[in-house]
Amino acid sequence: MKKTSQICQSKLPDNTALKQQQLPAYRLQLSATGVLSGFFATGAFCLGVGIILILSAKSIKEIEIKYTKICANCAELREDAINFDKECTCSIPFYLSETMQGNVYLYYKLYGFYQNLYRYILSRSNSQLVGTDLKDVGNCAPFSKSHNGTPIAPCGAIANSIFNDTIILSYNLNSSIHMEVPMLRSGITWWTDKYVKFQNPSAINLSSAFTGTAKPPYWSKPVYELDLEDTENNGFLNDDFIVWMRTAAFPTFKKLYRRLNRVQYFIEGLPAGNYSFNITYNFPVTRFKGEKSVVLSTLTWSGGSSLFLGLAYTVTGAVTWLAAFSMMAIHLMLKEKRTLFIERDSKLSFLC
Amino acid sequence: MSSERDSETTFEEDSQPNDEVVPYSDDETEDELEDQGAAVEPEQNRVNREAEENRETFRKENGRCCPQQYTNFMLDGLLFSFFLKDCTWQVKANDRSFHEQPQFMNTKFFCIKESKYASNAIKTYKYNAFTFLPMNLFEQFKRAANFYFLVLLILQAIPQITTLAWYTTLVPLLLVLGITAIKDLVDDVARHKMDNEINNRTCEVIKDGRFKIAKWKEIQVGDVIRLKKNDFIPADTLLLSSSEPNSLCYVETAELDGETNLKFKMALEITHQCLQRENSLAAFDGLKSFMCEYLCESYFSEGFVECEEPNNRLDKFTGTLFWRNTSFPLDADKILLRGCVIRNTDFCHGLVIFAGADTKIMKNSGKTRFKRTKIDYLMNYMVYTIFVVLILLSAGLAIGHAYWEAQVGNYSWYLYDGEDFTPSYRGFLNFWGYIIVLNTMVPISLYVSVEVIRLGQSYFINWDLQMYYPEKDTPAKARTTTLNEQLGQIHYIFSDKTGTLTQNIMTFKKCCINGQIYGDHRDASQNNHSKTEQVDFSWNTFADGKLAFYDHYLIEQIQSGKESEVRQFFFLLAVCHTVMVDRIDGQLNYQAASPDEGALVSAARNFGFAFLARTQNTITISELGTERTYSVLAILDFNSDRKRMSIIVRTPEGNIRLYCKGADTVIYERLHQMNPTKQETQDALDIFASETLRTLCLCYKEIEEKEFEEWNKKFMAASIASTNRDEALDKVYEEIEKDLILLGATAIEDKLQDGVPETISKLAKADIKIWVLTGDKKETAENIGFACELLTEDMTICYGEDINALLHTRMENQRNRGGVYAKFVPPVHEPFFPPGESRALIITGSWLNEILLEKKTKRSKILKLKFPRTEEERRMRTQSKRRLEARKEQRQKNFVDLACECSAVICCRVTPKQKAMVVDLVKRYKKAITLAIGDGANDVNMIKTAHIGVGISGQEGMQAVMSSDYSFAQFRYLQRLLLVHGRWSYIRMCKFLRYFFYKNFAFTLVHFWYSFFNGYSAQTAYEDWFITLYNVLYSSLPVLLMGLLDQDVSDKLSLRFPGLYIVGQRDLLFNYKRFFVSLVHGILTSMVLFFIPLGAYLQTVGQDGEAPSDYQSFAVTIASALIITVNFQIGLDTSYWTFVNAFSIFGSIALYFGIMFDFHSAGIHVLFPSAFQFTGTASNALRQPYIWLTIILTVAVCLLPVVAIRFLSMTIWPSESDKDERYWI
Repeated sequence: MKKTSQICQSKLPDNTALKQQQLPAYRLQLSATGVLSGFFATGAFCLGVGIILILSAKSIKEIEIKYTKICANCAELREDAINFDKECTCSIPFYLSETMQGNVYLYYKLYGFYQNLYRYILSRSNSQLVGTDLKDVGNCAPFSKSHNGTPIAPCGAIANSIFNDTIILSYNLNSSIHMEVPMLRSGITWWTDKYVKFQNPSAINLSSAFTGTAKPPYWSKPVYELDLEDTENNGFLNDDFIVWMRTAAFPTFKKLYRRLNRVQYFIEGLPAGNYSFNITYNFPVTRFKGEKSVVLSTLTWSGGSSLFLGLAYTVTGAVTWLAAFSMMAIHLMLKEKRTLFIERDSKLSFLC
Repeated sequence: MSSERDSETTFEEDSQPNDEVVPYSDDETEDELEDQGAAVEPEQNRVNREAEENRETFRKENGRCCPQQYTNFMLDGLLFSFFLKDCTWQVKANDRSFHEQPQFMNTKFFCIKESKYASNAIKTYKYNAFTFLPMNLFEQFKRAANFYFLVLLILQAIPQITTLAWYTTLVPLLLVLGITAIKDLVDDVARHKMDNEINNRTCEVIKDGRFKIAKWKEIQVGDVIRLKKNDFIPADTLLLSSSEPNSLCYVETAELDGETNLKFKMALEITHQCLQRENSLAAFDGLKSFMCEYLCESYFSEGFVECEEPNNRLDKFTGTLFWRNTSFPLDADKILLRGCVIRNTDFCHGLVIFAGADTKIMKNSGKTRFKRTKIDYLMNYMVYTIFVVLILLSAGLAIGHAYWEAQVGNYSWYLYDGEDFTPSYRGFLNFWGYIIVLNTMVPISLYVSVEVIRLGQSYFINWDLQMYYPEKDTPAKARTTTLNEQLGQIHYIFSDKTGTLTQNIMTFKKCCINGQIYGDHRDASQNNHSKTEQVDFSWNTFADGKLAFYDHYLIEQIQSGKESEVRQFFFLLAVCHTVMVDRIDGQLNYQAASPDEGALVSAARNFGFAFLARTQNTITISELGTERTYSVLAILDFNSDRKRMSIIVRTPEGNIRLYCKGADTVIYERLHQMNPTKQETQDALDIFASETLRTLCLCYKEIEEKEFEEWNKKFMAASIASTNRDEALDKVYEEIEKDLILLGATAIEDKLQDGVPETISKLAKADIKIWVLTGDKKETAENIGFACELLTEDMTICYGEDINALLHTRMENQRNRGGVYAKFVPPVHEPFFPPGESRALIITGSWLNEILLEKKTKRSKILKLKFPRTEEERRMRTQSKRRLEARKEQRQKNFVDLACECSAVICCRVTPKQKAMVVDLVKRYKKAITLAIGDGANDVNMIKTAHIGVGISGQEGMQAVMSSDYSFAQFRYLQRLLLVHGRWSYIRMCKFLRYFFYKNFAFTLVHFWYSFFNGYSAQTAYEDWFITLYNVLYSSLPVLLMGLLDQDVSDKLSLRFPGLYIVGQRDLLFNYKRFFVSLVHGILTSMVLFFIPLGAYLQTVGQDGEAPSDYQSFAVTIASALIITVNFQIGLDTSYWTFVNAFSIFGSIALYFGIMFDFHSAGIHVLFPSAFQFTGTASNALRQPYIWLTIILTVAVCLLPVVAIRFLSMTIWPSESDKDERYWI
């Protein structure tokens, strides 16, 4: 009896792999073969991806037209806020030398517009946009309430400063026939945005849903009249609005505006020929030295990628290979020396 | 007499130090040590002194209450002086109201008064239910790091400058605080339970004249209590009587000092006789004596104890019992200390003197010195550096923002925010904003993680089977959990000898009686044989059969009785000691306080002089079969100062004799001039010493009846003196211990522990210098040095005088060279010895004092110095003092330089204080990490002084272990502790820290790069939730596990190649250079992490034309790349991949994606639309092959150079561990 209790009380530590620090383990070793083969493989991979990316980026057709300068008179007009109700349009003709095959997307692009500024990015109310509480205008100051105290919907600086130029692309089949290129104004947002983040408040019709709210001060029409042609594309669910609300990462950004409706002439894409953009110029950018442009582009599997990533991959691959070769050279050079080391070391340690 | 002692200890300038003498001894308490430390800081010293003076005046005031008149009174015709100053603790038996008198009240708050007598309820817990939260938080916020984050939190609450969501700092901070709080809570709950358990223990107390059961917490000072067998003693109690004859009471003091042998306490005879029964005990106070009018009224008539104030000295107690008009001396032998257990005694009675918090055990607890590691200091400096960088970055970015606002922001209509701030004000606000955003540069979880890792390391030490000593069932124990990595950086080891290098198991080997050496292999007729049978002790019924002895001639001598000294010799061994005996199954069983004594008494027993029994006044011995009882007249105790003990007995025939045994040095001073065998014995002592045996000299003396009478009076007087009782006793002892007649000397063997030479050579190969500090003689020490291979034949050994000369010339040179420009000339290091030869230094304590100009100044001198008469004098004095200090410092530095050139240093004949001093010297002048290892109370100073103290739990009790940081049972485990655990801990901690700084820089600086593209507006590059969880969830586990489990080489290799240890000693793995490399690595990684996605994003759209170049997708891309990069990076840093590591690394990545997809899911957005704004980003962004390609490229560009650089540096400059690893596995 006494003996067993003594055994229980023994302070002998447990002989487990963890406690004795003997866990089975793989000792990470940078062996020459491993490292070199790894480098060669990585290099090959990078080069391959780089080349593919470059090729696919090259296949993209893209046209960008900066129109701030072209529409200089409109830009000037917009510099003064007094002229807010004066309409100003501007037509930009251009020639498409090659057909743009496949889906064609129309973007607007802004330069020097800081959508990522901290206090700007914060100035929105997600709970209002999700349609649950129109009166929640928490972070939206100073665009939270109108003069008479009614909450603004949608509130905040982002919504208030929505891009409000209208861009219409027309195809000049010949000098007399100008036809508007059919464009889709929906399906340009993320599914989650359209169906989760943005919801109209539930009511019989939109205008009643938004009663008791005011439009943002810079807007010309209330939120439920953003798209007069498509009632589904109105209120917070307006695609243009949603696109704008997804703030950009950098002061230079482009946002999807329209996509080509591939019908009639445009079933293959945009055929080569004369086109013109008819722009209703509303959005002032010159005061802060910004620029606007309009972009037409096709896409590939990797999106509308630029050359950067392809080049970066290629360079990385090349450098990796270079590094691999030089490491191999150094390794081989030192290998001879090291065999001497081993002999000396082993001799020494045996002496000890 | 006192002048004689002084001349012993104070050396003249040119006199040669005596190698044989231990310079002066001092068993200092911790307080004195601390005072000494304070002397370095004059400011502190002044404060201390003031406090001291205040206390003094307070005492005087306190004393006033009790009439001064009774300071002198007569007792048996002798005059006693009482200094009230020292004895202010007055206890009256069975009178609680006495202790509530106003003079015993201390003012606690303004007018709330509290008795100075603590109640017996103890309170070790820190918090209760109400105070836990505020007090714990307060404690935690006292730490700089936590406070920093609190400040951040407050900053974040200011709406103008907040740039991160409130939870980003709060959640990690709460987590960190929570972990610590839970730890504290668990500790405190355990303390509560313990307190409750202890406070509610019961014990019998006299109340209203009867013994009644009372709880411990109800006991008060002055209560009379009854204790039974195996009871814990509830408070420090004066033993009044016991059930055993001679008022003995046995106690076990394991809880106090860890010693398991029984100790006995003895009550005063008078109390023992008179206070046995309940009614007499209850009446202990009741008797009002006729003498009561005399002076202080009732004080003397009743049971009234006056003693010193509570203190922490376990072995000291001075007090006086006044009872029945007589005063009786009280000392530590009559005090039962709280925490001990009554054994082998049916019951005993006692008077409570100190209760609760005043008890010695409580006064002793909680006094720990806080040690910190080198890495701690380094880490703090680095955190400060980072903090400065943070401020600079924020300031720069704030300026940038102000500029940007002036240039762009002011003209951007869309940024209108209704506030009319100037750009510079906006910049100022942004400064704080950036402080908040970039705060993660200072890693919040750093300190907690470091603590977790250290705790883990400590557990690994505790768990190590190879440091478990099965014979005594002792595993290694890391008593401090904060020093582990320092174990990998040790430069100097200071080791005690006895019990540390040796086993401290004493066996009687040899003796020298009357000049004749016994103990070699001899037969009965004095012929030497190389192989002789063991001596047969069967003729002696008391022999225990454990002694192996080969000298038959000695037996022959004892039995024949030809030489009376032989019998006298063993008789002395049997009588002169403090060993306790009890009989178990008729067998004698000795309980000795020191192993030496035990060995000697059992040797005497085997040679026919068996110590049989002891009472308070008698001692019974069987002398070759005849039992004789001697009455003990006095026991002159052993202490480290006296180094001897004596006993005065009266033989049955009526003669009075003094028997004395002690260290040779002290005995030889007190011998009678006519001692014929003095020289022979001295030679024998030298021979014993050269055989590494421990020696003691034995002597005796006859005392005349009259002489004794006279002396006894002085002795009695001294023994109840209330001030300086010890000194008074020492003086009295000194008077009788003279003109002794030398009997001989004993030689006890103390074997080397297993594996000591191997360990020492291993450690030496690891470039660790080992100094042995011992109280032994020079010869013994030298021989031990050879035995444990610290000294080798090819070494040149230098002694004190050699190096003194060297130091002298050096000092001269320095002085000559010095002059005015000395301070501006950089000190040139020139070796003292020609290189190429290995040297050892053996130096005695006296030489040490001589060389270091450490002389004991007489007290009077200090007093004089304290009060200089004129200003002039004072200035002169301070000047000369300063000059002396400078000279001393120079000498000390030279000495340390010299000693460190020797490959082995042995300091012998050193006192505990000198041991600590030597450690301190090396610590101070070499800036090296020191480790002290020892087993006895005399090593405590040294253990506390060194950076790391290691205690050997051996034979000499637990005092060393109690004050140590690490403890184990055998010296040889030291190599595993240092070479394996220390090294691993160091490497792990360094890797951990390097990685930690790297990962936080890589993470945080992305914000910095991003600010150039967002108008310096303190916009973060990640989602708030990601920032919140990055440090606590996504990147913490792998690095923690690496910090716990990593092994660059296996333990076997670490032990096989001690050279691998050098990395730690030279701080190679974590220093400012390494730190900056980590930072640069972090900065470069953050650049790659930001700029590659930037390039990829500037010109892109998604697969289906939608824009992925939005802020949220960008944040997700960088975050994913970051998580993969840092987790792979830790994978590369981990050299010991267990499945746990693999699991944690891939688990962290998986966890990141899992949590991200959850937080980006539709459901959570509908519930909390404003808290989770990234809805759908993960799914939409990570659908794009383009983004994946970006992430892959980013990770590859971050990691490939690391692999390449590692590979190249390994190929071109392979480190020791790389080499060993590769060629030996």
